[in-house]
Amino acid sequence: MAKQKNNGIPRRDFLRNAAAGAAALAATSAVPAKQPAPERGSSPPPAMSPEAEIGTPSGAEVLTADRTGSDFMVDVIKTLGIEYICSNPGSSFRGLHESVINYGGNKNPEFITCLHEESAVGMAHGYAKIEGKPLLVFAHGTVGLQHASMAVYNAYCDYVPVIVIGGNIIDATKRMPPVEWTHSVQDAAAMLRDYTKWDDLPISLPQFAESAVRAYKIAMTPPMMPVVLIADGELQENPIPTDAKLSIPSLALATPPQGDSAAVAEAARLLVAAENPVLIVDRAARNAAGMALLLELAEALQAPVVDMGGRMNFPTRHPLNQTWRAREEISNADVILGLELADFWGAVHSYRDQMERTSRPLTKPGAKLISISSTGLFFKSNYQNFQRYPEVNLDMAADAQATLPSLIEAVKKQLPAGRESALQDRGARLATAHQQTLQNARESATYAWDASPISTARMCAELWAQIKDEDWSLVSTIQFVSRWPMKLWNFDKYYQFIGGSGGYGIGYGAPSAVGAALANKKHGRISVNIQCDGDLMYAPGVLWTAAHHRIPLLTIMHNNRAYHQEVMQVQIMADRHSRGIDRVKIGTAIDDPGIDYAKLAQGLGLYAEGPISDPKDLGPAIHRALDVVKRGEPALVDVHTQPR
Amino acid sequence: MKAGKILRCIAMAAAIAAVPFAVRSKELRGMRGQEQSGKTPSGNAQKGKLVFENLGCNKCHGSEGEGVSGTGQSGGVPRIASTPLALPTFIQLVRKPKGVMPPFGSDRASDSDLADVYALLQTLKPPAKQESSTAANPGTGERLFVKDGCYECHGYLGQGSMSTGGTRLGPPQIPLSAFVSYVREPTGQMPPYTVKAISNEDLTEIYNFLKSVPPPPSLKTIPILNQ
Repeated sequence: MAKQKNNGIPRRDFLRNAAAGAAALAATSAVPAKQPAPERGSSPPPAMSPEAEIGTPSGAEVLTADRTGSDFMVDVIKTLGIEYICSNPGSSFRGLHESVINYGGNKNPEFITCLHEESAVGMAHGYAKIEGKPLLVFAHGTVGLQHASMAVYNAYCDYVPVIVIGGNIIDATKRMPPVEWTHSVQDAAAMLRDYTKWDDLPISLPQFAESAVRAYKIAMTPPMMPVVLIADGELQENPIPTDAKLSIPSLALATPPQGDSAAVAEAARLLVAAENPVLIVDRAARNAAGMALLLELAEALQAPVVDMGGRMNFPTRHPLNQTWRAREEISNADVILGLELADFWGAVHSYRDQMERTSRPLTKPGAKLISISSTGLFFKSNYQNFQRYPEVNLDMAADAQATLPSLIEAVKKQLPAGRESALQDRGARLATAHQQTLQNARESATYAWDASPISTARMCAELWAQIKDEDWSLVSTIQFVSRWPMKLWNFDKYYQFIGGSGGYGIGYGAPSAVGAALANKKHGRISVNIQCDGDLMYAPGVLWTAAHHRIPLLTIMHNNRAYHQEVMQVQIMADRHSRGIDRVKIGTAIDDPGIDYAKLAQGLGLYAEGPISDPKDLGPAIHRALDVVKRGEPALVDVHTQPR
Repeated sequence: MKAGKILRCIAMAAAIAAVPFAVRSKELRGMRGQEQSGKTPSGNAQKGKLVFENLGCNKCHGSEGEGVSGTGQSGGVPRIASTPLALPTFIQLVRKPKGVMPPFGSDRASDSDLADVYALLQTLKPPAKQESSTAANPGTGERLFVKDGCYECHGYLGQGSMSTGGTRLGPPQIPLSAFVSYVREPTGQMPPYTVKAISNEDLTEIYNFLKSVPPPPSLKTIPILNQ
């Protein structure tokens, strides 16, 4: 049967045609009896018969279908506005794969070829933090989902929406031996259920449509998280049933939950009455509007802001940004407002890792703690990412950004006349402290300025000098480079920073950077990735994905040649046991041979140079790589750096 | 090992670990008793030594109160041995210090405690020669600095790191005795290095290396740090 094209046919007409086609197929397929399968390898392949070359003889089995379930699945996916599908191919979703690239025209969504499922989910993670919506990941039954699992956990801990569609073959009689048996599972989503928000196994196309729309809605409702759908192989590949009543539910996203009005008023009262209020923010801003709201609240109160860096929350050069004076402000605070804090307890306590692990509060006695966080609306038991129990005085289980407008209004309403002078004084004191902190950071960066290996401060300063006049976006975490970018650079736009991995699962950095760069591509932004060496080597193939899909991304390798976090952990143990630290590099160092990341990247299709060891060579090398990125290609500069 | 046995062992270890502190506290209480029986609380240098160490004065000022002279952008740590200050001024300065020294309120050290410290300081003489001499081979110290893993948290030139919590060491802002004392019994996250792990001689070499690190270039000479 010749393949029909659907171009220009309205969906309603198409569905009618599809049903008719399926009916014809069903009628045909009902005729032939089930043929016994030839025994594999029992005889040489038969010669092609004239009948076979001419066409299907009457009464033979049906070998083609015009419209299958996977086509309808693509229709559903298209209604959700999904731009990309990141995936490593797998036969359990071959129907979907083919429908995306042929029936769907490989556009909205476009299939992005990934070389590992962990990279695919990591890309989805980074993309969502820039674009504010999920993309799709297809993962092969069992093994693909297992590969994806760590990255799903990161997204779960980081409260990021990702939609994973996993393949599976539920009907055991339809599994081709032997591989499809090993790649099938009774409950495919079970391996991810502990760290996803919702999953489903639709057994019909109408159910798939509802479940897909529901999955999108659930993933996008704060607290946002990954969700999983399992697409049965038979459902994908079988013709659309004649009696199928197919429709796609419309999507209306749920409004994010706002804080209770009485609680909001009480929070405002406490903040206004406070002598030293402090705002601690983590995943508070979901977009640029969230940043603007935080700014408005902080300025209304003239309160210091401590940014924990889960998202781009607050401009780094704003005088009220007191992130680097956090301890001083927190210990002096009488009211602390925590907005979407991943770890409120950790924000207000110090913890000491010696033989006896001890902690102490950083706050002074009587300080009032207020929390607004949507994370309080959803808990699971097994994985302990919910952190230690914080003793707060006022706890709003609500989305911080959605609650900010009413909180700002209440604060402004409650601010008594005559407070302007006191607020101005507080603001002036904080502005002076902020300026001094910036000066101190710059002074600190001068230490080891000319050192080789290159200091992380020098590397970040050289990078800033090259990108500061561009429309840039830092798409990597900063925790492994002493947070120098946040100290030295001028961040003032939401897309300029995407926070960290959430679950601290290594291997997140490279794929999330490529995913975020994919999102930045259509906006024409220069994406910049400070890439840890150990992280890249989990799945370096994602660089090939960047090259293959022409994703502009400037990668600066923080090549410190070891898993230094772990070097330190082993060193702590060796010191504790007084055994000397001569051997702590065993199992932690990435040297002998040192990895040549420039060659690696070149082999994967990138422009790359390095390793750069002399700090004087770094600026020009970054400049050359940036020129490549401006042309729409990825580029990499390998830098031999100090540990942190 | 069964759980009960483990708990017993932990309890014993804790008891052993607590002994020196218990002795110190007892010793101090005894001395305070003697003081209360007297009419005028004149400083007791012997007791002052215990207070000096308990408060951690030695961690910055050195075990002999020798201090360290300032270098580069650092102001150093004042020498307090044989302090010429009068006792009331000394107490006032401890209560409300200038610079980076933390304040010590009366909840942490009474006037009487500080009088004892003052008495101790009067008995201390500054060393004839600065311990921070760079006469030793800085190359040896640099090698040891890397070999003993100091660079892991503090950077190859002791510049410090926020990621690791390792403070800036180069050049040292504290005297050698305080440096050694801190390495042996750190108060923060740093793991303790016992004599078995690093000898005093090696620590001296490391200290000398850190002293030899040239001062950084002036911020004004680095345009890209002012953008």
